[in-house]
Amino acid sequence: MRSGRRLPWSAAALAGVLLVAAGALAMVALRGPSTPGTMNDRVRAVASTLRCPVCQNLSVADSPSRLAQQMRTTIAEELRAGRTPEQIRSGFSASYGEWILLAPPKRGLDLIAWLAPLFLVAGALGAGIAAVRRWTAGHTVGPHRDTVDVASASSLTTADRRLLERALRAAAEESE
Amino acid sequence: MQRHPSTLEPTRPRRRNRWVLVGGLLGGIALLTMLLAFGLSRDPTVIKSPLLGKPAPEFSLRTLDGSRTVQLSQFRGQVVVINFWASWCIDCRVEHPALTAAWDRYRDQGVVLLGIPFGDRAADSRTYLAELGGAWPQLVDPGERTAIAYGVYGVPETFVIGPDGLVAYKRVGGVVYGDLIDQIERLLPGQQA
Repeated sequence: MRSGRRLPWSAAALAGVLLVAAGALAMVALRGPSTPGTMNDRVRAVASTLRCPVCQNLSVADSPSRLAQQMRTTIAEELRAGRTPEQIRSGFSASYGEWILLAPPKRGLDLIAWLAPLFLVAGALGAGIAAVRRWTAGHTVGPHRDTVDVASASSLTTADRRLLERALRAAAEESE
Repeated sequence: MQRHPSTLEPTRPRRRNRWVLVGGLLGGIALLTMLLAFGLSRDPTVIKSPLLGKPAPEFSLRTLDGSRTVQLSQFRGQVVVINFWASWCIDCRVEHPALTAAWDRYRDQGVVLLGIPFGDRAADSRTYLAELGGAWPQLVDPGERTAIAYGVYGVPETFVIGPDGLVAYKRVGGVVYGDLIDQIERLLPGQQA
């Protein structure tokens, strides 16, 4: 911030609250769901990342279809055999194609889907900051101004300031 | 945006910034619209099988009559047609004559046709076969494991595997006789040589 420009308390408080909220959301997003404990939870964790082949808008975890049920059984067997969720997922995508994955892989063209939201958020933040700067710029000292921020006219002496305030008040009353 | 006349002067460079911003936004929107148009113009139900050109997943399954176990690898060097079907599936009934005709035409040339009922009760499968005929081996796929390995969405689905053990063709939906014949013929000459 340039000197002479003062951020109003409300704006600072709002910015603080937004920052804390964004931080909390980012933490949750980065940590993801807690590590599943029971076998059921572990199967669910894998199944919820796979698309059900017969009812395309549900995950394998949520679909009641027979094929999804069989896929859950397969996942449980493979987990018991010591395969990692990543290996199981790549096994399914070898059979069904990457289509079966509900989240696109983080490489190649699919990376766009992961990065675009970040760019959008960064762009929105930038635009927000620019807008706030423009709005608050109206309250700073400029070459042609018809209002004077008395508190920020620091070069005045206390006596000058009192005189100025009185003059301004008188002018305001006169105009009413 | 309404501005006080006195603030007009120092905002000249900002004007240009605003055009850059507006241009960027419009460009972005145009790009997204084009992406959407491209996405909408494609048929989402057509999904190319990743198995094409890859080794066919191996399986070892009991026949429906329980008489023997059939393993895919025992047919290496032959053209293998695998047909996933179900007794409750209308398209399977429609395609059945095509499969029967292909079987009759190629069974003596070393072409193997295997049927795998999918999401079906064994008793229903047997009734269906008794009704419609078909002497090619029918295999029981417990837990639909083989179907999942082949990436089957529903029935009917048909795979043609070349003598090299690679998946050469996949058909989602009922097979068309001429189409199936073409696929088999395409793979046969190498086998005879």
